[in-house]
Amino acid sequence: MSLRLSDLSACFEGVIPSIIATASADGMPNISYLSHVVRIDEEHVALSNQFFAKTAANVRANPKVTLILVDGFTGDQFLLDIGFMRSVDAGPLFDRIALQLKASSAQVGMSEVMRLRSADVFRVHGIEKVPSPVETAPGVVGRDSVSLPALSDAIKALERQADADEIIDSLLGGVQRVLGYDNALVLIHDSHRGSLVTTGSIGYERSGLGSEIASSEGLIGSAATNGQTIKVNDMSRVRRLGEAISLEAEASENATRVVTFPQLPRVVSQIAVPMVARNTLIGVLFIESTQRLAFREEDEAALEILAGQAAGALRASEREAAAAQPTQVPPPPRLASGGGEIRVVHHRVDDSVFVDGTYIVKGIAGALLRLMLEWHLKDGSEVFTNREMRLALGGRMPEIKDNLETRLLLLRRRLEEKQAPIQIVRVGRGRIRLEATGPLLLDAARE
Amino acid sequence: MCIIAGADAAGRPSAGRGVGFDVLADRETLDVIFSAWQWPRLEADIRQTGRVAATFVSPSDYVSFQLKGAATMQDTGAPDLDRAERFMTAATNELESLGVPRPLIAPWLTAREARVARLDIREIYVQTPGPLAGMLAGARSQ
Repeated sequence: MSLRLSDLSACFEGVIPSIIATASADGMPNISYLSHVVRIDEEHVALSNQFFAKTAANVRANPKVTLILVDGFTGDQFLLDIGFMRSVDAGPLFDRIALQLKASSAQVGMSEVMRLRSADVFRVHGIEKVPSPVETAPGVVGRDSVSLPALSDAIKALERQADADEIIDSLLGGVQRVLGYDNALVLIHDSHRGSLVTTGSIGYERSGLGSEIASSEGLIGSAATNGQTIKVNDMSRVRRLGEAISLEAEASENATRVVTFPQLPRVVSQIAVPMVARNTLIGVLFIESTQRLAFREEDEAALEILAGQAAGALRASEREAAAAQPTQVPPPPRLASGGGEIRVVHHRVDDSVFVDGTYIVKGIAGALLRLMLEWHLKDGSEVFTNREMRLALGGRMPEIKDNLETRLLLLRRRLEEKQAPIQIVRVGRGRIRLEATGPLLLDAARE
Repeated sequence: MCIIAGADAAGRPSAGRGVGFDVLADRETLDVIFSAWQWPRLEADIRQTGRVAATFVSPSDYVSFQLKGAATMQDTGAPDLDRAERFMTAATNELESLGVPRPLIAPWLTAREARVARLDIREIYVQTPGPLAGMLAGARSQ
C-alpha cells in the first residue's frame, strides 16, 4: 500500500527535526536539519527555509529534493522525494507556516533565532518508509480516534445552553468528555484592557479565574492575535520559568491586583484555540497535557469545532440578554441580613475592587460591581438588568456591548471563589440580583 | 548526530544518518559510517558520483558544521563497527538526556550492513542556526 501525506500527520508536529538534502546545479549535495515541514494537502508540503541560504539557492537551481521526516510518536522515518514549485512570503499560507514555526521554535527554545522570511512550496512525488532495526514499540501509538458521535453530542449540549456560564462549562465538559483532556481554561477577550481573562477553568489546583494574559503574549496571545490554533507538542526541552508556584501567590493578589495564571506541573503539550464568531474574537480555549504529542491533527480539528460553536453561543447569549424585557423581574428578596458592615473599595485607575480588603477583580467586571453598589446605595435597588448596566457604562467602555455577560460571569465566579460577603445571583435572562450578608459601604474615591 | 547526503548523476539527492566517524591522521580526510541496509540509495549515489556532504550537530546547543568533498566507498573493518557501536551508544544517551524517549531514537541508528565512505574534505561550513549559518569556515585549494 502506498503511503499518503495524511498517514504521516505525526511527522508534522515539529517535535523531531526533519532533514533536507539538496544538490547544486553541478551535483554537489547539501544536507541540513529543518525546523518545520508543513503539510499543505495530500500532494504538497511547505518548508521554512529561514536561514540556510545554500539550501534555498540549490532548490532554485535544481528542484529535486529529498526529505527525511520522523514520526514524533514512534520515531519511524520516511523518505520523501519532492520537487520545488514556488516561494511564498505573504498571504494565508505564509501566515500559517509562520505561526507554526513560532510555536515549534518555542518548544526547542529558539524562538528568538528563527524568524520566517519566506516559505518554499514543494510537490511530493514519492514517499517510502525507511527500514527500522526495531519493531515499533507496542502501545506507543495509544489513543483512539476522536469519536464523531461524542463530538456531535457535545455540540448538541452546547446548543442547549443559553447563558454564558453554562456555555463555558459545557465547552470545558465537552473537551473533557470527547477528548479526555483534564486541564483546560476558557479566556475571554477584553479589548478594553488588551488582554484575555480566565473565565472558566477545570483541572487546576488553583482555578486562576480572573488571571490575565496580554493579547500579544505567548501561545494564547498568538492564537488570539492571529485567529489561528497554535500548539506545542513537546516542551520537555524548554526550560520552564516560574514552574514552582510559591504558596504566597494567592496572598500576593491583594498587593498586586494580579491573579496568578494557573499552571500544570510537568506540562509537555499545550494548545490555544481561538474562539471566533463571525470574525469577532470572543476568547481562547487553552488546554494543557503532561503527555507528549497530546494534540494530534484530528484533536485540533475537534477542538476548533467545539470552540467555534461555543463562540457563536456566547455571542448569541449576549444579544439575547441585552434584549431581555423588564417584565420578568422576580419579587425582591431582602438584602443585608443582619451581618456586619461590608467595606468595598474601588480604584478608578484600573477599576479594581476589594471586598473587606480582599482583591476580587478589575476592569469591566470591577466597574460593574461599583455601578451596582452605587445604585443600591442610592435607592435601595437590588435587581439590575444587563440593559441598564450596558447603558450606564457604554460611554466609557464601548466594547461592553459584546461581552457584558461574560464580565458578570467573571465577577460572580470571583466573588464565589473568594467567599465574599457580597454575591451576585442570576434571576432570569439578562438580570441579576445583589446579595450581601450586611450593610454595604462603598469607598470609590481611590485612584 | 551525523547526517549524510549524496546525489545521483541526474542531480537527485539522497540522504541518511551517519552512525560513526573517524578523522584520519592527515586531518583532511574523514571516514563516515552508515547503514546500507537502511540507506541503500546513499551508497548507490556515492558509488556513482563520488560526492558527499556530511553535517555534524551537537544536539544540546545546535552547533553544526557541514563537510563537503569527494568520497569513495571503503571496506568496512572491525574498528569501524566498534566506532559505530560507541557512536550509537553516545548519541542515544545524549538525546535521551535532552528528553527524547529511548524507543523513539532506536529506529534511527543501526550499523546493519555498515558501510564506510571516505570523504576528502574540500569545504567546511558553519551550519549553526543564526547569523553565521552557511558561512564558509574553511576550504582547501584544489
